[in-house]
Amino acid sequence: MKSGSNLEKILSQGKFAVTGELGPPQGSDINIIKEKSKHLRGMVDAVNITDNQTAVIRMSSWAAAIVAIQEGLEPNYQMVCRDRNRLAMQSDILGAYALGIRDMLCLSGDHQIFGNHPYAKKVFDIDSMQLISMVKKMRDEGKFLNGDDIVEPPKMFIGAAANPFGDPYDFRVFRLAKKIEAGADFIQTQCIYNMDIFRNWVKQANDMGLTEKVYILAGVTPMKGVGMARYMQKNVPGLDVPDWLIKRLRGVEKKKQASEGIKICCEQIEEFKEMKGIAGVHIMAIEWEQRVPEIAEQAKLLPRPKV
Amino acid sequence: MTTPEVKSIDKEKIKDILNDKKGKMKLSLFVCAHCGLCAESCPLYRAHDRNPEYMPSYKVINSLGKLYKKIKKLDRNFLEEIKELIWKNCVLCGRCYCPLGIDIPSMIALARGVCRSQGISGVYPHSLGAPEEDFPEALSHIGVSEKE
Amino acid sequence: MIIAKVKPLEEIKDMVKDYPKVLNVGCAGCTAVCLAGGQKEVDTLNTQLNSSFKADKVSFQVDGFTVERQCEMQFLAELDKIAGQYNAFLSMGCGAGVQFLAERFPRIPVFPAVNTSFVGVNKDIGWYEERCSSCGDCVLGITGGICPVTMCAKGLFNGPCGGPEDGHCEVDKDIPCAWVNIYERLKEQGRLENILKIFPARDWQNQIQGKIILEPYKKRYIK
Repeated sequence: MKSGSNLEKILSQGKFAVTGELGPPQGSDINIIKEKSKHLRGMVDAVNITDNQTAVIRMSSWAAAIVAIQEGLEPNYQMVCRDRNRLAMQSDILGAYALGIRDMLCLSGDHQIFGNHPYAKKVFDIDSMQLISMVKKMRDEGKFLNGDDIVEPPKMFIGAAANPFGDPYDFRVFRLAKKIEAGADFIQTQCIYNMDIFRNWVKQANDMGLTEKVYILAGVTPMKGVGMARYMQKNVPGLDVPDWLIKRLRGVEKKKQASEGIKICCEQIEEFKEMKGIAGVHIMAIEWEQRVPEIAEQAKLLPRPKV
Repeated sequence: MTTPEVKSIDKEKIKDILNDKKGKMKLSLFVCAHCGLCAESCPLYRAHDRNPEYMPSYKVINSLGKLYKKIKKLDRNFLEEIKELIWKNCVLCGRCYCPLGIDIPSMIALARGVCRSQGISGVYPHSLGAPEEDFPEALSHIGVSEKE
Repeated sequence: MIIAKVKPLEEIKDMVKDYPKVLNVGCAGCTAVCLAGGQKEVDTLNTQLNSSFKADKVSFQVDGFTVERQCEMQFLAELDKIAGQYNAFLSMGCGAGVQFLAERFPRIPVFPAVNTSFVGVNKDIGWYEERCSSCGDCVLGITGGICPVTMCAKGLFNGPCGGPEDGHCEVDKDIPCAWVNIYERLKEQGRLENILKIFPARDWQNQIQGKIILEPYKKRYIK
């Protein structure tokens, strides 16, 4: 065991893992976290705690992660490279581990221009690949980035993101290989709508032997309706929303569109369960956490295994 | 066809500029031994197949040197003529080396200063080969209000 | 070269409004090439300032003087004789030039009339683009001649991130993704192995003000 986390145990035992997502509040009210946690408790094996997502300021992910632990959830502590330099990162990782956090997701982060402080100075002292290497070095060698020894090194289960749909398409699986080499233990993908492209990417990953070296969790986001689908197709970078999806949602009356979106999501999850190389699913029901129990139920993911 | 009006030059101003440094400049022009060592250190001379028109000494003698010689008979045409020598043939990189200690860059700079005082300046960018665009709004980006 | 852009008129007026006699110092170097601060720009700005303050009924006069380069004291020396006539200077040189000017005349307030923007290229007249961040540790040889620090909005060394779509950066549809370009360039040259390796964390240079004294010249300056 690298970290001994719940997520690690489930994955290493070959069980189909389920992770969720929780965005911290834009203020210091922890009751909001408690409210969201209620819906997710028992439905997921770990829950991602986002880090100033879309460069909008929210309670720091480490703080929200600790609240999540108090609420009976295992947090997957997200850290982006946009806001912190290597000093702050290593310092935060020590603190996070000391307070019980065991899973970590290393990300680049959305550019600050998207957020509510667009003129802030960007950091990007190290990129996500270098962050993965650094966390691995802290865990396996017990050393800081500069080579100094760490007293009581943090032992994190290291996660990274993968986008099977981004440009340049041919390079994506090689980037996955790089992340594995850097030290990623598990991967969560961007939310998938175009299953053809995704199947192709997984096949390449299988052929290169990558799926034997890392646990891949396929990302899904249920569509609340046609409006959301169209918005995401147009505005979210790196997302591939196919036209058939929009057509299918449009084919249902408005008040039934949410259920149809969930139905599509569950169909995807069924396929992921059978897909070679896929070790689990990452459900990103952002600001829709209350529907996660329904999805987990409908996709026959319950009860979550106790390890 | 109407002949374009040629603005006259302010000879007094030019004289002031030249007289201000007359001692040093005339001495420099006088002691030049035409040894050609300055040419060897000029990157443009070497890049243009050792074309003598790029020798620093040539540039200086045929620009500033002539300005001092012709000081009474100067006209705008002459200034336009030396423009190429001191702007296209020289980038004022300052690498020209003179064993006698002549400060060649300052001489080119002075010649440029004379031209500028009469509104004649170098053409940018040289590399594009095209003259600076001369259209009514060419300078409309200067002194603009924030709201525009 | 260094690319700068002239500040809006209001900002310049606000800087010099309390100084009745100002000298606007132009630069025949970089800022002349990018049409920000050469002699023509000095003359144009001066015309605007003089007429604008006149309309405001504020006592103000600005003269112009363009030097070869403001980043060399030798050329700034031309101002020595006339500096005393002015209450303040405006400089249309880059930030380095402004500071040299201020250093040479420490008792005269110096105000920048341009915003020094970046180290870049002249795509064509009036069109300038950033290319270099002066990071002090050039890796262009590895990335096929495309700078990851400058041309990637996030400065990634193991890019791309998850953002690019249709080859453009998530930040702006008109900005190409540097890593898509690096990938294509290296692919064409048969050098993709450069980016299959992991670039380790950088030792960022230029975190304090830079200074270079070349080895052969050290004995001139260092006793």
